[in-house]
Amino acid sequence: MPPPNTPVDGTTTPRSTQPSQPAQSSQSSQSASRPASSIIMDASQVKTAVVKMDYQAIDYVNPVDETLICPICRTAFHSPITTPCGHTFCAKCINRALERQRVCPIDRQPVDKTRDYRPIPLIIKEQLDRLEARCPNQGCDYVCARENLEAHYERHCEFTPVRCPKPGCDKLVARHLCSIEGQCMHETTNCDFCLKPVTFVDLDAHWEQECEAAFATCPDCGASVSVVNNSMLKHIQQDCPEATAKCTWEGAGCRVTDKRRLVREHERNGCMYETVGRLLEQQAEDRKIIQDLTRRLASLEAVRDTRRRGRRRDSAATINDRSAAAVAADGTLANPAASSAPLADGTTWESPHNYMLAQFERLESQMEELREMVCEMDMRQSASFLHHSQQVADRFLELGDKVGVLSMHTKWLLNMQYMQRNAQLRAANAASLTAGAAGAGNVGLSGSSDGGHHGGESSSGAGSSSSESGPRYQLGGRRGSEGRIETLTRL
Amino acid sequence: MSAPFAAKRLGKELQKISNSLPPGIELVSADNFEEWLVDIRVLDDNPLYRNEIYRLRFRFSSTYPIEPPEVVFVKLPDRPIPIHPHIYSNGIICLDLLGHQGWSPVQNVESVCMSLQSMLTGNTKNERPPGDEEFVRGNRLRPRDIEFYYHDNDV
Ligand SMILES: [Zn+2]
Ligand SMILES: [Zn+2]
Ligand SMILES: [Zn+2]
Ligand SMILES: [Zn+2]
Ligand SMILES: [Zn+2]
Ligand SMILES: [Zn+2]
Ligand SMILES: [Zn+2]
Repeated sequence: MPPPNTPVDGTTTPRSTQPSQPAQSSQSSQSASRPASSIIMDASQVKTAVVKMDYQAIDYVNPVDETLICPICRTAFHSPITTPCGHTFCAKCINRALERQRVCPIDRQPVDKTRDYRPIPLIIKEQLDRLEARCPNQGCDYVCARENLEAHYERHCEFTPVRCPKPGCDKLVARHLCSIEGQCMHETTNCDFCLKPVTFVDLDAHWEQECEAAFATCPDCGASVSVVNNSMLKHIQQDCPEATAKCTWEGAGCRVTDKRRLVREHERNGCMYETVGRLLEQQAEDRKIIQDLTRRLASLEAVRDTRRRGRRRDSAATINDRSAAAVAADGTLANPAASSAPLADGTTWESPHNYMLAQFERLESQMEELREMVCEMDMRQSASFLHHSQQVADRFLELGDKVGVLSMHTKWLLNMQYMQRNAQLRAANAASLTAGAAGAGNVGLSGSSDGGHHGGESSSGAGSSSSESGPRYQLGGRRGSEGRIETLTRL
Repeated sequence: MSAPFAAKRLGKELQKISNSLPPGIELVSADNFEEWLVDIRVLDDNPLYRNEIYRLRFRFSSTYPIEPPEVVFVKLPDRPIPIHPHIYSNGIICLDLLGHQGWSPVQNVESVCMSLQSMLTGNTKNERPPGDEEFVRGNRLRPRDIEFYYHDNDV
């Protein structure tokens, strides 16, 4: 995963003064990991696929987790949906199953395809997208993340069946066989060697496997060699151990000429001219690099000159103010190199078409990266949200506990107060009984138990009257109950 | 679609089956995606089936696994037809799982074999379905065209 600042890099058009920019852009177009040949493909060859890619035919590099496998087709889900009962199937598979019976194939709960399908969780989709998948075309061994495979299949794969190049022929043919415009690959031709009728499509296979006339015996070594596409000539010139050959270092001055296997032995034992030969090779390579650099320099200078000229003309024509013109000229001086960066990054584009194609690919891969990043951010965000809300819930629980403990304490304290008050009252009553009249004392006793009860549960507000005598206790009691409400609201 | 649905699914099943099968189940042949032969035997010591191996024949239509396969026991010199109140003596099996109503596309060859295994394991009745003789004599229908009445689904 690239650091978060990459998209900024990526979204800037190749207009930047940093020298690292060309290197970066060439790297990112490589990171799309597509064969270079597909980028510089001729426009006429980019035929679109006729048949949709078959997801069930995809082979995965690693075993796919059982949870990602559709129970109906037994392959990794393709555009899956979830039923109300929580089971997931490929949309196509469940549709077929529901045509026969309108119940979930797993638990037989009724399912109505028009309104019961739910999307699958994003995380499953992502897992599916990331599966390393092999191109389903036979003969192709391209591997990439599954989400990119369809693009490979549709636009790049050499083995994707496309329409026959001959107008009117509705048969299909692998893309790499469409080399001749207008040539029907399904017409029969006669094999050049055995003269048997063979369709163009099968010609290669015929030569490789069936055609006996396509093989001949090498006059030198006696091996049976294919004669297709000058391969006999190639054999004699490059491989045949008995054919006459020259030493690899002939250019450096070696005069050895013998049967190839003897010459090879001579080379293995160390040809005297090898060191010289290697030096010459190195020199040639250096020269090539120098030529390339000179050519590039020339083109860059040309671009710069035209820019400068254009700018000067502009500034002379439109701006009279001298200092403003100077600023403008200054600002553009640094730019020509940058604006030609895509030209200078090692690839010379043969046509604007190819250039656009490459740019398109690069943008596509950047989009992909962005998408991945958004997904990741989404995941991270929801994870942190969960985390936070969990914390809040924990705090709530803790607070609830504390409140419980506090109310317990309050109860206990109040209780204690009540007990104390009772003890005091009893003492006071005993005193008044011994001191005052018996009748008044009786009233005081009943009143005190009542008022004391209220007061005991409440504040000490009633306490001041507690030591006073009989009839006033009624009042004290009432005051006590008011005080209790007050304390509750204060809590 | 380049290859029929059934062939692709069976290919997947074959891949899995050829790696591992539960005990008592053995793939005899699967040369094509139309007909497979499987041997099963009962694992416990049920005296009705002790020391016997039974041969099952699966036939798949192009709509498998949406439609059930046709599954019958076949009789060979060393492969008898197991005795069971739901298995006719011509090998036709009356099992709701294999009928149009009871079938589910999430079933597969392995799960069918296992169901049949347990159907035999749990049986104690040494008898054929009622009307077996007439049925075997009179029936000219393919198993999938017979509408069984699943009177006793707990077997
Ligand atoms: Zn379900
Ligand atoms: Zn599926
Ligand atoms: Zn491919
Ligand atoms: Zn054609
Ligand atoms: Zn030939
Ligand atoms: Zn030779
Ligand atoms: Zn030499």
